[in-house]
Amino acid sequence: MGHGHHHQHHDRSHEPLDEGEAAPARDLTIPDEDLSPAQLSRRRMFRRAGLLGAGLTAAGVLGTQAEAAAATPGGREPKDGYLWLAGDHHIHTQHSGDGIYRVIDQVRHGNAYGLGWVVITDHGGATHAKIGVDKVNPDIVAAREAVKDTLVFQGLEWNIPAAEHGTVFVAPGRREVETLKEFENSFDGSVKDAGANTPQNEALAIAGLNFLAESVRKRRIPDALFLANHPSRKGLDSPHEIRGWRDAQPSIAVGMEGAPGHQAAGLPKPHGPGGGRGYYDGGPGADSFPGYPAESYKTFGGFDWMTATVGGLWDSLLAEGKPWWITANSDSHTVHGDTSVRGPGSDFDANGRYEDPVYGGVPNTGAGDFWPGYYSRTHVGSRTFSYEALMDGLRAGRVWVDHGGLISGLVVRATTAGHGRRGATLGETLDVRRGDRVELTMEITLAGRPNWAQFVPTLARVDVIQGDVTGPAPDKDVFTTPNTKVVQSYEVGRTSGTVTFTYRLGRVDRPVYVRLRGTDGKRSAPGLLGAGVDPHGPQIDVHGDADPWNDLWFYSNPIWILPRR
Amino acid sequence: MGPTTGEPTTGGFTTDGPTTGGSADGGPMTVLGIDAGSRTLPEAEHLLRTVARSLGLPGGTVGCTHFVPAGLAGDEPHIACSLAVPGSVTPPADVSWAAGGQRGGPRAEGAATAAAEHAARRGGRVVTFPGHDLLTGTMSVAAIRDGSAIERVLVLASPGPPGDDTLVVTNDHVRPPASVSGLGC
Repeated sequence: MGHGHHHQHHDRSHEPLDEGEAAPARDLTIPDEDLSPAQLSRRRMFRRAGLLGAGLTAAGVLGTQAEAAAATPGGREPKDGYLWLAGDHHIHTQHSGDGIYRVIDQVRHGNAYGLGWVVITDHGGATHAKIGVDKVNPDIVAAREAVKDTLVFQGLEWNIPAAEHGTVFVAPGRREVETLKEFENSFDGSVKDAGANTPQNEALAIAGLNFLAESVRKRRIPDALFLANHPSRKGLDSPHEIRGWRDAQPSIAVGMEGAPGHQAAGLPKPHGPGGGRGYYDGGPGADSFPGYPAESYKTFGGFDWMTATVGGLWDSLLAEGKPWWITANSDSHTVHGDTSVRGPGSDFDANGRYEDPVYGGVPNTGAGDFWPGYYSRTHVGSRTFSYEALMDGLRAGRVWVDHGGLISGLVVRATTAGHGRRGATLGETLDVRRGDRVELTMEITLAGRPNWAQFVPTLARVDVIQGDVTGPAPDKDVFTTPNTKVVQSYEVGRTSGTVTFTYRLGRVDRPVYVRLRGTDGKRSAPGLLGAGVDPHGPQIDVHGDADPWNDLWFYSNPIWILPRR
Repeated sequence: MGPTTGEPTTGGFTTDGPTTGGSADGGPMTVLGIDAGSRTLPEAEHLLRTVARSLGLPGGTVGCTHFVPAGLAGDEPHIACSLAVPGSVTPPADVSWAAGGQRGGPRAEGAATAAAEHAARRGGRVVTFPGHDLLTGTMSVAAIRDGSAIERVLVLASPGPPGDDTLVVTNDHVRPPASVSGLGC
């Protein structure tokens, strides 16, 4: 980097570097390979200490552990060895044709509502690919600088060829914009007029994922991830496409929205939009997968049918042993009750963005979204507060999600009884000997304080869901699995403190997985596959009469238990 | 498809209606399939109404939309239509069609698929049917049954049928799925 103080035979990582030398080590827009050995050594130390990322630059000189702890962003304390960072990978700005807000508006709100990471995902399309993808980047870089304790990723909402929308995002780097731009120009379903459900377009989607994987492999970008958004909304994501994405690039295509955004869309008129919760308003069209039932176009307790159905599509993937994770996001375009309107004199097509929003004087009761972090949260167990670690945690499935601040913390461990080892947490596999006794321990930190609707949610019940791992499905379009069901429920009925439950799986003689779900208990009904599978599942949401604050759920990702033969 | 009130779940219909029976003049009925490669349901419904009008069919004629997969009558998946018509009808000149063993136009295979689904009651959604013009606003289940060809209303993700006095918000858009319908699609 031209600073000229090379001491190649001397590990300087614990000596102070002068400011000019140290700065590049902290600047994640500079890739590892462009650092001097001393700078790289310093960066590795930062990484080990959990300090690399937006929080680091805030702290200035970081010489001691005490200062390091003080620099832990937002005062977040590690739990079970991880920083649990709430986040949102689905957020729009004035660079979307249906957006309105500045990047900094979304980031400041997300930060204020407790988010440690956000992804800016403006819609892919001709104007965005030509102008918006470039223009949004300086705003994102400025937001990283202005809001130090929230990681701000650049991404886009990809129009997946032949399918729905999805989040694609990358780790910051010097080539993040050019890579995203090339991706969008080459593989976006709107840019390429490739929305129709044809084999050619399905192949283009896979090619797009391959491009991302190749870009990471060649170190053009440090990292990239893809998650399918609102997967059941229009029936466009067929089971074989979801399996195809994951199987093509399992390190890139890692999951889907378990719950869509737009959670205020079902609030009744005249104080709400009076639509379907999540804007799940439609039915099948020409490009829909014909096998999906009518219920799949609705949400259940605010969650997508693929996730909400015990023994349904998500479980059919987990039963194959396929890692596939769920998230919950805002999809924030325009916030319910907000008084902003688009800036006057806007010309989106010419400028690639709308003018900055202005005060409009009237609360927008027709808007169906919440601010990032206000209602939907995706909690990722991250080794450190850094872009790379956050993406690693998401990729690993160390993730649980909640609505309305139902709970504050969740630590889950599967262990072999009596072994005293740490065992496996969310997203991981516990290796056991056949016949070992296995226990699942859940430590749940209850809400403890009011959520953003000003009440302290009560956790009424926690369900343990368990399924057999039956191996690859011969039919790539299958969306049920027979041996997954609720195996245990715990009544809680409390708002604060910590509750711990231990579920004993008994002697495990075959591969299984377990996942958790909890609820405020206000709206429950037998699951779509029967009360024997799910006696108290989420109810289908009523069109135009769905108060999201009176129907709260959390979901965890799974842990697999794999007996050796 | 609107929700029902009085039932805590969202609405969605399956219907059992009368069979199409014979034509008004007592002659034999046949199913006419038409395909103009419509990519959206509104486009297809517009085509359906336009053709029904040009053929002089009465308002209660059973007309349906049907999904046609990619590779059949075109490279992209699209929507074809079907109409229950008197056997004597002359097919429209400017769209692909199929009726009985006869076919015309480049997308005739899509039209034939729609007609076959209609005849076998295998799939599709009913757009026009006796009484459909009256299904507007908010109505009771009993009023829907009494005033239209719909004989049964079910609620999605609900074990039993709603009571007769359950209110249904139609959103002025009632399109019963034909696969379980007696309406003849």
